[in-house]
Amino acid sequence: MKGAAVGRYRLHVNGERREVDVPSETPLLWALREQLGLLGPKYGCGVGACGACTSLVDGQAARPCITTVAESQGRRITTIEGLSEDGDHPVQRAWLELDVAQCGYCQPGQIMSTVALLAANPDPDDDAIDVALRDNVCRCGTYTRVRAAVRRAAQLKRGDR
Amino acid sequence: MISRRAFLGGVLVVSVPLPAHAATGFTPNVFVRLDARGRITVTVPRPETGQGVRTTVALLVAEELAVGLDDVRLEQAYGDTARFGSQLVANSFSARQLTQPMRTAAATARCLLVAAAAQRWGVPSEECTARDGAVRHGHRVLRYGSLVRDAAALDPATVPVTLTPPERWRLLGRTRAGRVDAKAIVTGKARYGIDTRPAGALVAAVLRPQWIGALVDTLDDSAARAVPGVVAVTALDPATSGQGGVAVIARSIPEALRGREALRVTWRGGTPTADSRVWLAELETALPAVPAAPGPVAFEAVYRLPLLAHAPMEPMNATAHVTATGLTVWTPTQDPGGLRASLARQFELDPANVRVEPTLAGGAFGRRIEPDPVLEAIACSRVAGAPVSVLWTRDDDMRHDSYRPMSVHRLSAVVDAAGVPTWRAHGIATWPLNVLPFFNDPAIVKLNGDHFPYTVPGAVDVTLRPAPLRTGFWRAVYAGHFLYAEENFLSALGQRAGLDQVDLRRRLLPADSRLRRVLDAAAARAGHVRPGFTRGVACHHDYGSVIAVIADSSDGEVRRVTAAVDVGSALHPSGVRAQVEGGVMDAVSTVSGAQITVREGRVVQSSFRDYAWARIDRAPDIDVVIVPSDAPIGGLGELAYPPAAAAIAFASGQPVTGMPVGVDVG
Repeated sequence: MKGAAVGRYRLHVNGERREVDVPSETPLLWALREQLGLLGPKYGCGVGACGACTSLVDGQAARPCITTVAESQGRRITTIEGLSEDGDHPVQRAWLELDVAQCGYCQPGQIMSTVALLAANPDPDDDAIDVALRDNVCRCGTYTRVRAAVRRAAQLKRGDR
Repeated sequence: MISRRAFLGGVLVVSVPLPAHAATGFTPNVFVRLDARGRITVTVPRPETGQGVRTTVALLVAEELAVGLDDVRLEQAYGDTARFGSQLVANSFSARQLTQPMRTAAATARCLLVAAAAQRWGVPSEECTARDGAVRHGHRVLRYGSLVRDAAALDPATVPVTLTPPERWRLLGRTRAGRVDAKAIVTGKARYGIDTRPAGALVAAVLRPQWIGALVDTLDDSAARAVPGVVAVTALDPATSGQGGVAVIARSIPEALRGREALRVTWRGGTPTADSRVWLAELETALPAVPAAPGPVAFEAVYRLPLLAHAPMEPMNATAHVTATGLTVWTPTQDPGGLRASLARQFELDPANVRVEPTLAGGAFGRRIEPDPVLEAIACSRVAGAPVSVLWTRDDDMRHDSYRPMSVHRLSAVVDAAGVPTWRAHGIATWPLNVLPFFNDPAIVKLNGDHFPYTVPGAVDVTLRPAPLRTGFWRAVYAGHFLYAEENFLSALGQRAGLDQVDLRRRLLPADSRLRRVLDAAAARAGHVRPGFTRGVACHHDYGSVIAVIADSSDGEVRRVTAAVDVGSALHPSGVRAQVEGGVMDAVSTVSGAQITVREGRVVQSSFRDYAWARIDRAPDIDVVIVPSDAPIGGLGELAYPPAAAAIAFASGQPVTGMPVGVDVG
């Protein structure tokens, strides 16, 4: 680890090309947060066990805390900041409608996992929701509202009222 | 009522006294501010930890100022108890202590604005009304902004202040609005402690004691200092700087963590062989003797409860900047005012030179009353000569918490012919909360934990043993221990006698009591027990509120939880339900398997992989009934956890001998 060579890595984040100068094994999470100022993905565990940093890599839910910058080159990265300009993505709207958040710290991760779920499965049942969001820990206990909001987001995405 | 009123640069400032705290002698104030454009700014005196205080305060002010929730801009109060009163988020205090003063502050502003308009129009104030940010008289309308200057010039002693009566509330208790920070949260714009990085700030990671109480013996930091980006290494004195260990100060978090990995440290002292199974056995032998019973004891049971960690989603962190004359701290704290006072004392600074800026907290649950991360950041800033942000890893957070104490409970009862208890004894052996010496007193522990809801006379006896590790406040504190044992014991008595659990509790509650009403409301909503389901029931009263919880399980999983609460006025209904839902999920987690264990002096659990906190797939449907009430407003944040844990444990259908159910404790 010591003296790991610093390289320049080109990242494609939220539709923009960005560059970071960090050692190759640097977790993407810290490049996003400390180099690019994207503070929406949260640090919760650093070992991929809590989901607070969940973002999209090539459309799939990924854990930037255990994904290196080197691995992220050339991939499309979407953080919570890249989801919408003003919180009007269907998943965000559902989250507001159901008043899901308590402390809110895990919610960017919950939302990004839901975005990935609905891209793959536009009409998930409770079991599919549980599987997709099982690795997003909420310590405040908002799970019942998360579940309801995922169902509502699926409706909004389909254009249902 | 008005203690001070000022017109400063076109701004009307209203401040009113909070209820004086006789014990502390403070003369606190809260503020509502209107500028010449009519913009309303409210200073939220207590920090947001997820409990919803910012939303409640915004609703209180918007209601009394006759404006919409969106018309109120919030500022977070910095730590200053002389100015803002107690800022402690604890004991489910926030709504109880802030409702009257915040309403009064806003109503005072409204009444002054109305009086100013009435004066301008030459009509009696009583003929004017305030609505939608303006004062109206017939067809005449004056916006608040145009009245600010005149309102500030009025003698408040001549203007009576009237509160909006609850039957005329538009928002409080009625709003369907979500919390005020929801938009910022779902767009990733909400800023927590971890997001604070002042200009020029460095970061630090701390290598913490390898076992409980270990002190640094030898330190070789040569390899750590050679890691690119590492700026300084410093040993932390546990007497003054948190929990001890060695801090690595660097330019970025990954560099600090690499530097920490490169440290070579040997440790001495402490308790390298400590084992939580041994602690539990020691508590069991320390149980107080069962007092003489007034009849034959029908049944006796022992319950063992484990260590629990707080594990908020946002790990402990703090940013500090020490300068020649003072100190600034940014941190997610439950007590910015208390923190400022204690820092001024410890570092012998004039409190005027100590600034504490509370951030949003990613959960707290009692952990953020303590200052240890702040003390680390201060020590690091001193060494670095720059602002320093200390970030705890999840491993640090889980292994260096101030844990909920273990406890052992022995309960016995005398019953009547129907099997209903007529006398009870509850002996408790546990540890004090060593983060606050005040709690090293069995009478205080009993006062905190003993809220037996039923009319059964008996004896409660607490024995305290010295805590072998850091112990602290964990949501509901000792009530979570006491009620878990008491309600499970009552359920076991009911089961032995073949009694319906709701009927048994009805017999033990006065017919016209608030508890009886919430129990009946919960039972009515829950309906009959479905085939294949088992049911647990528990009641609780504390913080001026009452609750009944009914849990229904099948195949060992809790499927549905019905709770009925009476909190006096449910100011923000969605927030009220959220607090109950949160308490229920804490109960699911701790009953189904989450516990902290200690082996060879070290906490075993280090992340959400092994601290078995419940995930979404364990979440039951939760139905919260808000029971209307004329009672004074009560607290709620800690109300649901104790009865939910008891009800969910009994609903499991397994024999309950402790917590978690069906798992070895310790």
